[in-house]
Amino acid sequence: MFKTQLFRNTCLSLFVMLTCCSGTVFSQSDIRVAGKVVDDKDSAIANVSVLVKGTANGTTTDQNGSFSLPVNNPKAVLVFSVVGYQSQEVALADRTQITVRLATSSSNLTDVIVVGYGTQKKVTVTGAVATVKGSELQKSPTVNLSNSLAGRLPGVTAIQSSGEPGYDGSAIRVRGTNTFGNSSALIVIDGIPDRAGGLDRINPADVESMSVLKDASAAIYGARAANGVILITTKRGKTGKPNLLYDFNYGWSQPSRIPKMANNLQYAEMANELVLYKELQQNPELWSAGWQGLQTSGQYTVPGATPRTFFGTFRPDDFAKFRDGSSPLTHPNTDWFDATNKTWAPQVRHNLQVSGGTDAIKYSGSMGYQNQDGFYENSATGYKQYDVRLNIDAKVNKYINLGVGILAREENREFPTSTAGAIFRMQMRGKPSETAIWPNGLPGPDIENGENPVVITTGKTGYDRDKRTYIQTNAKLEILIPGVEGLKITGTAAFDKYNLDRKRWATPWTLYFWDKKTFEADGVSPKLEGKVRSTFSDPRLNQYSENSLNVNLIGMLNYDRKFGDHTIGFLAGVQKETNKGEGFNVFRRYFLTPEIDQINVGGADEQTIAGSAFTRARLSYFGRVNYNYKEKYLFEFVWREDGSYMFPEAGRFGFFPGVLAGWNISDEKFFAQNVKFIDNLKLRASFGQMGNDQVFFGGTLQEFAYLGTYTFDTYILNNSLTRTLNERVVPNPDFSWEIANNLNLGLEGSALNNKLNFEFEFFYNKRDKILVRNEAAVPNSSGISDKLPPVPLGKLDNKGWEFKVGYSDIIGEFRYTVSVNGGFAKNRLLFWPDTKGIPEYQRATGRGFGTNGVNFLAYEYDGVFRDQKDIDANTLDYSAATSKLIPGDMKFKDMNNDKKITADDRVSQDWNRDPRFTGGLNINLGWKNFDLSILFQGAAGGRLYINTESGDIGNYLEYTYKNRWTVENPSSVNPRIANRGGTYYTGGGYGLNTYYFRKSDYVRLKNVELGYNLPAAIGSKVGLQNARIYVNGLNLITWDEMKIWDPESTSENGQYYPQGRIISVGARVTF
Amino acid sequence: MKKILKSIILGVVTVTLLYSCKKDYLNLEPPGQVSDALAWKDGPLAEGFVNGIYAGLGLGGFHEEMLASFSDEAIFTHAGRGFNIVNEGILNPSNLGWPNGNYQWNQMYTRIRAALIAMTNLPSSPFDATLRDRLRGEAMFLYAYYNHQLLRYYGGGPLITKVYGLDEDYSAERGTWADNVNNIVKYCDSAVLMLNGKPVQEGRASANAALALKARVLLYAASDLHDVPTAKSKSTVINAFSKPEILGYPTGDRPARWTLAKNAAKAVLDATTGYKLSLAAPEDTATATRNYISIAMGGGSKAPGVDATAESEIIFGRYFIPAKGEAARQHGLNNGPNGYNNWAGNSPLQHLVDDYEMMDGTKFSWSNSAQKAEPYKGREPRFYAHILYDGAKWKPRGSSDPANEIQTGNYQGAGGSTIYGLDTRQGPVENWNGSWTGYYVRKFIDPNPALNDNKDRQDVPWPFFRYTEMVLNYAEACIELGQDAEARTWLNKIRYRAGLPGFTESGDALRQRYRNERRIELAYEEHRWHDARRWMIAPATLGRKNVYIAVIGTLKAGQTATTPYRKDPTKYDYTYSPTVDNSLENRNWLDKMYFLPIARDEAIKNTKLVQNPGYE
Repeated sequence: MFKTQLFRNTCLSLFVMLTCCSGTVFSQSDIRVAGKVVDDKDSAIANVSVLVKGTANGTTTDQNGSFSLPVNNPKAVLVFSVVGYQSQEVALADRTQITVRLATSSSNLTDVIVVGYGTQKKVTVTGAVATVKGSELQKSPTVNLSNSLAGRLPGVTAIQSSGEPGYDGSAIRVRGTNTFGNSSALIVIDGIPDRAGGLDRINPADVESMSVLKDASAAIYGARAANGVILITTKRGKTGKPNLLYDFNYGWSQPSRIPKMANNLQYAEMANELVLYKELQQNPELWSAGWQGLQTSGQYTVPGATPRTFFGTFRPDDFAKFRDGSSPLTHPNTDWFDATNKTWAPQVRHNLQVSGGTDAIKYSGSMGYQNQDGFYENSATGYKQYDVRLNIDAKVNKYINLGVGILAREENREFPTSTAGAIFRMQMRGKPSETAIWPNGLPGPDIENGENPVVITTGKTGYDRDKRTYIQTNAKLEILIPGVEGLKITGTAAFDKYNLDRKRWATPWTLYFWDKKTFEADGVSPKLEGKVRSTFSDPRLNQYSENSLNVNLIGMLNYDRKFGDHTIGFLAGVQKETNKGEGFNVFRRYFLTPEIDQINVGGADEQTIAGSAFTRARLSYFGRVNYNYKEKYLFEFVWREDGSYMFPEAGRFGFFPGVLAGWNISDEKFFAQNVKFIDNLKLRASFGQMGNDQVFFGGTLQEFAYLGTYTFDTYILNNSLTRTLNERVVPNPDFSWEIANNLNLGLEGSALNNKLNFEFEFFYNKRDKILVRNEAAVPNSSGISDKLPPVPLGKLDNKGWEFKVGYSDIIGEFRYTVSVNGGFAKNRLLFWPDTKGIPEYQRATGRGFGTNGVNFLAYEYDGVFRDQKDIDANTLDYSAATSKLIPGDMKFKDMNNDKKITADDRVSQDWNRDPRFTGGLNINLGWKNFDLSILFQGAAGGRLYINTESGDIGNYLEYTYKNRWTVENPSSVNPRIANRGGTYYTGGGYGLNTYYFRKSDYVRLKNVELGYNLPAAIGSKVGLQNARIYVNGLNLITWDEMKIWDPESTSENGQYYPQGRIISVGARVTF
Repeated sequence: MKKILKSIILGVVTVTLLYSCKKDYLNLEPPGQVSDALAWKDGPLAEGFVNGIYAGLGLGGFHEEMLASFSDEAIFTHAGRGFNIVNEGILNPSNLGWPNGNYQWNQMYTRIRAALIAMTNLPSSPFDATLRDRLRGEAMFLYAYYNHQLLRYYGGGPLITKVYGLDEDYSAERGTWADNVNNIVKYCDSAVLMLNGKPVQEGRASANAALALKARVLLYAASDLHDVPTAKSKSTVINAFSKPEILGYPTGDRPARWTLAKNAAKAVLDATTGYKLSLAAPEDTATATRNYISIAMGGGSKAPGVDATAESEIIFGRYFIPAKGEAARQHGLNNGPNGYNNWAGNSPLQHLVDDYEMMDGTKFSWSNSAQKAEPYKGREPRFYAHILYDGAKWKPRGSSDPANEIQTGNYQGAGGSTIYGLDTRQGPVENWNGSWTGYYVRKFIDPNPALNDNKDRQDVPWPFFRYTEMVLNYAEACIELGQDAEARTWLNKIRYRAGLPGFTESGDALRQRYRNERRIELAYEEHRWHDARRWMIAPATLGRKNVYIAVIGTLKAGQTATTPYRKDPTKYDYTYSPTVDNSLENRNWLDKMYFLPIARDEAIKNTKLVQNPGYE
């Protein structure tokens, strides 16, 4: 141990001697002060500048945060400063050994942030750029990086609509929805746009930083920039000896919320109501008597010439048994969610990182492993990931730098053969009066299609495995041109290989049925009968394979130089991209045995073989010019000339400029002298034109819409599968980009000695020439209404604001940062191809546009007909909706005052399911070796349509039970229950009415992390540089109005895999 | 300064170099597609295009929601699919209810366009003339077929004869009824010329198919609904319509129209033969039942006893094979009993059941006490071939029902309890999928006991045109022309095949028996809804309230229930009570329903369009 220490010190000294300005002379009589600089989690901070105040005497800390410095005055004051932290002055007061803790800086003025094709000092940035550090994102225990973003970046919305392992990513929107088709931001990873796999599965530990370009600063990405750009930079090596970090995390996950369903008594009551309403549909005046009969004797005889008797589905003795639980076999109270799912599903992450290097060569490598289990008991669902990343930077000589990055990642998704939608559909439908699992452990009957959720969640039905392999490489060669200071040529090449193999092996399964009467010899065990209840009896196999190669070549010329007070930067580049892929899909059934899952064992009958392919290409020229005077007046111009294969040759290239300007007001004398409490204040403005070449109609990318081609399909003729050709599109030889005009105003700064920082943004985006299918002008009789090509008619605008305010300070051993951020965006269609002549209140134009299209066109709920008297008083004609109104039916508003409730009374709503406001509150606290970070996140302004599949077919929500019209308790607010959409106000056109919309506003405790850092003294004894243990959680508490399922959900019927609530513990150690 | 200049020059040079990069690689072509120009130069590709036009036929009549449920044949079991909108008369231009793809405007006109593209390009195609003519003939037939769909559902539609490009004036007036009929007949005639002598393939248009289409259209054209004076006299809604020439012939010679229809049908009868239509006397019951099971199977069943040669009935059909997993192949799942884990889709109504005659050719009657006591006894063979009723033998279903019999009743069990039949809406198996009517359709479901309809798929073809329809069309025209003897001769061929005595009636009595014969013979084949409309008997037929059967089994004195239950008249007394039930659909006929509404959006986009009567 001693030896090591000695060796380290020797090395350190050597290092310090090398790095210190060789010109500094000091005498032997000086005191030597040594120490360490750490952050608020006790992690070492490297490259901190340590300066004796008032002198040029100084040094920087090494990889371990250590420094050693000769000082000639024992009372000297040392100034510690480094990018990303608040500077601190420490009086030596005769000490020779000190530890300094730096608080995270919230202003980061000296920070360098990543922008398109380069980096900029924060102080000179003129665009609206939101950034977050990888270390922040790592606090979230989710295994999907996209789920770590919510609440951390103002103006960036991340909505997680499913928690299914492997498909649990969030939909990310920068400043809401700005166009009709594809509103996703462009994702650029280490300088390469649109890499296969996106950002979801990037190992959070590999992320150095994330920048989001929200305004014209994105224009340098041209035709794909209109929806914003997310730049991700992975970690690279730093000079120093090898640093080995191991991070281990073990977590438990459960659904954030499970819908509360009716219990057996509640369901039985409602099932009898359905009988009553059906049997006495034409005689509501008898309902009261009928209900009395069903309750007392379980039957009712309809009076009349030919009396008719009907029975309740459940009789009084059934109710008695439900009530006292005396016959759990015949009268159970099954909670299907409980029977199907376990309390906690485990997940684990391991991560090993090594980094270090010399001036000549630096490296950073990491290996990650993740394993995530599904919520189900005996779950066949799971996600496993293996990833390796290696980044190497070599300084070949004074003029040549080479950087190479390699990522290899394998993603394994495993599922049962039933989809999550089917599984949760059956959990929703499962009746509490039926048995899920028999006492002997055998599974009970299916709900339908052989689907008993207890079984179809397991491996008993076969498997569905999806393996994706990504190999992403990029190499960057920088040549500094000798003789011209500041001139640099950079060449980048990236090859991304993607491969997907999916194998779905479905085998028949058996379920166990009981006639509710017959027992085994013991007289108590039900006599069960096993039946193959899968919807097929032969094993079958689907195999699917797909691969693609992206090739991305970039050439760039940079010229950056400072001439006195003038700093200029110039960048010009060219980028060439190609993307090609192919795939095939084979299916065979009639396997000889369920034991062998190989395609050659399948039968040839009914086999199918299909294939697919794509080819894409882009060519772009881009550049940037920036200029600043004393970092006070800032100016920037970015541009891109972009060519995309999406468009006909004539319109293939487009020019996309962005102009940005900034004014550091606080650098002005008048300001600095008069407004003392503000340290920095910058005013920014930008305007840019960008494009979006991703034309989607109905979720399908509209490629080659300028070519008249026929696609292939099949049709049965002459007893065989013949090929068919189908006209794909009426080609449009002349169309081009949709154009985004984005205006941004920003104000940012810091105050109170940089403890307070703030940022405000206002934006106005206007999108023109949005490519639409102009169906409104083309009747079906033309024969082309489904073959219309894109035409540039759509228009939309979007305005909003964002803010971020933070405050941080250290009080003795206590340190804290509080920051709050929020973003609001409201869009409006300026032109949507509405059908001509429809009333104003039905037009989509003038209203919002969401991720699921134009706003809902829905009937306006107007209460409920409480009783016959209410119906008699009605003056509106409901004959287009129902042939006879009966009590408990829903009322609608007659919008056009024609006294008739028809489709003309539907109203285009002012909202959709997307929230308009999203925000977060971040609190970071530290005390001694403890730290605590808390993130509250919320969203507001969206509404969700909710209508479950209930009735004879399945259970009702407890909410429905508690909020319904009944004979005994008639309501004028809530309607009568329906049997699976069997009333006009639940099924068909009238079912889409405002009664079923619920506000999805919420605030949730999104993320908490509590950590403890082992004191360095203890750590070093066991050979650790640093050790941290922590516990964290995701989606811990939710406050909302909807209270049915997770408010982040986009599901209408609850048939989806719920979002997770995760609690995890972990340790991070550095050797 | 010099340095700056130098660097700028360098920069400009570099950028210029980069710009000179080749742009050719942006000229891509979509892989897996073929250019339109190439397709018409190449025989197999052009054939592929014509094959694609057939896709407008959808699944034939085997969609989950069948046209039978728009008529007094059946009711659709599952609420919320828009059937009540149509059947209760709620339908209107902005609420179409359930429009099937097989006759929706967009689908039909899409395929009409495809046929026009083929007919435009083929004449100049350079390949083999035999193939070219065949393809032209097929395109002509399909063009005519899709126009006939529009015509019979909506009345005369815009007569589209050109291939539209972008940014044209798409407005188009509806063609008159006469113009539409003439257009269809013209293309049928041309198709016959092109297709004559070409080998006939399953699923492909043939000369006989074109003849059959012509015969059907001419029969419809001659009917009451399309004779404007007749239609006006029978319907105030049509009487008030300002453009009746779209829906029928305002004037003219009806016998001439019937003669055209008669001759067109006869042309088919002369050109080919049907299945077992040369019998001189009625078949025995078992054989007759088998005949009709075989006809429904159209050669697509391997069940024992099914005669595959009955395939010869089909003049033009939609075929299914295991190589393509199409939803029509699960017809048994869509319509079979819930007690077999099937979905009961289009369940026969009591009205249809009642219209099957007795074995001796007399009408069934509820007022006949013997018939009321045992309504399923002694019925004509087609009843047993078409309908599953309480006690009917069906496929094996294991220990819950060793007798393998349909159970649609409620039966008394031990201690006064009730046993709900396995195939009821109160039964123990997926009862939300149970029939409301107490019946299930059997016609078109492969009876092969090895096929478990819940799991396995069938390959029964859908008959668009069947020889027997042509016989019936011919007979109808003969009756309307007063040629009763000729009509009887042909109708009795069908009667004998069905094991029934021949007709002896004349005049209106013969007409009524013919109409019932057509109803039974063509049940579930997408005829009834059209026939009831064109005969203008819809108010009294399609407009009837739904009648279901309530089957109650009461234990005879001293008897105890068997476990599991099976039908046993020695133990049980069974009662059968037809019951009106309007809870699923409260059917109501309104005269606007003689023609379907044209979608509001279509009427707005095409300013020249006139809406059908009663929908304004």
